[in-house]
Amino acid sequence: MSSAGKWSDNPALNPRIQAALRRGKVKLQGFHSALMSHTLSKLSIEVLCSNMTFDPSALLLTPAVTLSSGCSSIDRLLRGGLPVGGVTELFGPSAVGKTQLALQFCLSVQYPPEHGGLDSGAVYVCTEDMFPSRRLQQLISEQSVLRSDVPLSLTPKSLSDRVFVEHAADLPSLLSCLTRRVVLLLSRGLVRLVVVDSVAALFRSEFEASDWLQRHQQLLAVSSALRRISRQFNAPVLCINQVRPRPGPEPGLDPAVPLFSPAPSSFGPALGLAWSNQLTVRLMMRREEGLLVRGDQSSTPRSLQVNFASHLPSADQSQGSTASSGQSQGCVIIGVWREGLRGEDQSQQREMDQSGASV
Amino acid sequence: MQRPVWSLPLSSAVISKLNRRGYQCTADIEHLTAGQLSTETGVKEEEASEVLDLVDHQRYPVSITALELLQREAELKPIVTFCSELDRALGGGIPLGKTIELCGVPGIGKTQLCLQLAVDVQIPECFGGLGAQCLFIDTEGTFFLERLREMAAAVVRHCSLLTEDQEQQDAMRTFTVEKILSNLFVVRCDDSMELLSQISDLPAFLSDHPEVRLIIIDSIAFPFRLHFEDLPLRTRLLLGAAHQLAALATTRNTTVVMTNQMTTRVQGEGSRLIPALGENWGHAANIRLLLQWIDCKRMATIIKSSSHMSTTVHYQINTDGFRDLSEASKRAKVQTEDQKAVGNS
Repeated sequence: MSSAGKWSDNPALNPRIQAALRRGKVKLQGFHSALMSHTLSKLSIEVLCSNMTFDPSALLLTPAVTLSSGCSSIDRLLRGGLPVGGVTELFGPSAVGKTQLALQFCLSVQYPPEHGGLDSGAVYVCTEDMFPSRRLQQLISEQSVLRSDVPLSLTPKSLSDRVFVEHAADLPSLLSCLTRRVVLLLSRGLVRLVVVDSVAALFRSEFEASDWLQRHQQLLAVSSALRRISRQFNAPVLCINQVRPRPGPEPGLDPAVPLFSPAPSSFGPALGLAWSNQLTVRLMMRREEGLLVRGDQSSTPRSLQVNFASHLPSADQSQGSTASSGQSQGCVIIGVWREGLRGEDQSQQREMDQSGASV
Repeated sequence: MQRPVWSLPLSSAVISKLNRRGYQCTADIEHLTAGQLSTETGVKEEEASEVLDLVDHQRYPVSITALELLQREAELKPIVTFCSELDRALGGGIPLGKTIELCGVPGIGKTQLCLQLAVDVQIPECFGGLGAQCLFIDTEGTFFLERLREMAAAVVRHCSLLTEDQEQQDAMRTFTVEKILSNLFVVRCDDSMELLSQISDLPAFLSDHPEVRLIIIDSIAFPFRLHFEDLPLRTRLLLGAAHQLAALATTRNTTVVMTNQMTTRVQGEGSRLIPALGENWGHAANIRLLLQWIDCKRMATIIKSSSHMSTTVHYQINTDGFRDLSEASKRAKVQTEDQKAVGNS
């Protein structure tokens, strides 16, 4: 907010108002209402001159910038990948693969834009476990398998050099890390992806039920810091969240949880409504029945669903549009392999079924 | 039109100077310029211009009869939402000249409905629409151009299927996705100060763009819930903004749609969801629509409106946008009937 002194030089303002502002008075009293509204409108124009209205048709030629995940099925689910201007949350039960997907994004961000990356590094803020460096090394060594679409000459060298790891054991250090160290890395152009793993861990241990007001304020401080850096540096932010059990139909416990999504599920995201109001995209990952086999590897299938996003169909939406071909949107089945998380392409599965049937 | 000078909010020195020169009521002063008044009465020039500003504002409000009002309102077409049940409940669609608040949890479809209305207000008049423009004020960063394109394409497809006469064919030649995008003005506001400045700048904006008939603020809650410790100040600012928007809506026959978030209210042992921004804000909008999940289905309820009954309707969000729940089954029925007809012939 600019100081009153700068506004006092505005020639459009009444000289008496200018004099009052110059004297350092921020509260203007003793002027009648017509003059005040005139002053307000002139000051509004000052505030707004940096805020241009833009014409959407001019943006038709530039597609929305997204960060690819390295897997085409996941990118198709997200219509390109993580949106660059907002906070994406990924929640799910423990050991389902959230951290691995985050690591995958930390690598895909380093590729050039024509291969879905942002040509920059990533900063990974850990709050509970140690950083999984061994898994990161494994993903790096298998990158050529995952990203077979990228010619070797364009593959970034020394992928681990551009992943910066920060630790934050409690809330004040998380806030200071976000507002100082992460901002420094972003402003120097060293990173463009921010991952926080996980947000809920800090809030669970520090607060009891009676401290909900303080918890609420801290939550808002963290989420607004994340939104601010995402907007300021045009950087995607990925937050990993844990789950809490969804209560039964009895009233008394927080009824906000069943209202988030209609998908019948025994769990819902932690952190509540105040946090959810700050998100741009929410994704859910959970285990499914069955087994996926590929070569010498096998994996339990997971489903990755869009819980909500204003530009993506969410998992509950029925088909019935005039344009779609009737494929299931909003949900994709993925497997966890050595080279990373990869979606199971539906046509591939159908082929496998057919070949299996013919044999 | 006559008002005695002593009743104006001026300092007593100025009033006595005016009275000494014989200016007893506002009708005497109206036709003068600041310079003339200053030389006549010995009042300083800037004080004279203040006096004239005040006099200009002392018009008594003009009244119109209820019948005239009814006739005027009958000429205003509402903005369709494309969910026929909701349109029926609202008497045709979102009415013009009112302020509407949409409340709901994240992901329920508030932004989707806003994007749908931004497209629907542009439907040409020969198709029953308004053929107007729209201003979209985005405070959360949830405006995605690709989604708007999808919805616009669906509406254009829908209208081209309905084209019958020559006038509609001519209109369809210019009613394209590019045209829809060019008739939409988008502004991004990052905090409450920018939003308030934008709202006070709206009258000037509307004078420059008289075709704008819909203003969408998505959301009005977000910038006011972040760093406001001083809650009474927040209420004052919000109600001031609501007042400005309501005045704008009535005088310019424009609809203002605002999105609100939900918050939890702890009551004794349990808690429930209520719209955010406080009790006083509840009185701000003319019409309040609550979007919520009931039994795993999306429902829209009119919870506040002086002219509509409190109804709850189903809706869904699909690739085309905001639609009726039963549209899929309706289309499936039509398709099977067509297939039967083809099979028989």
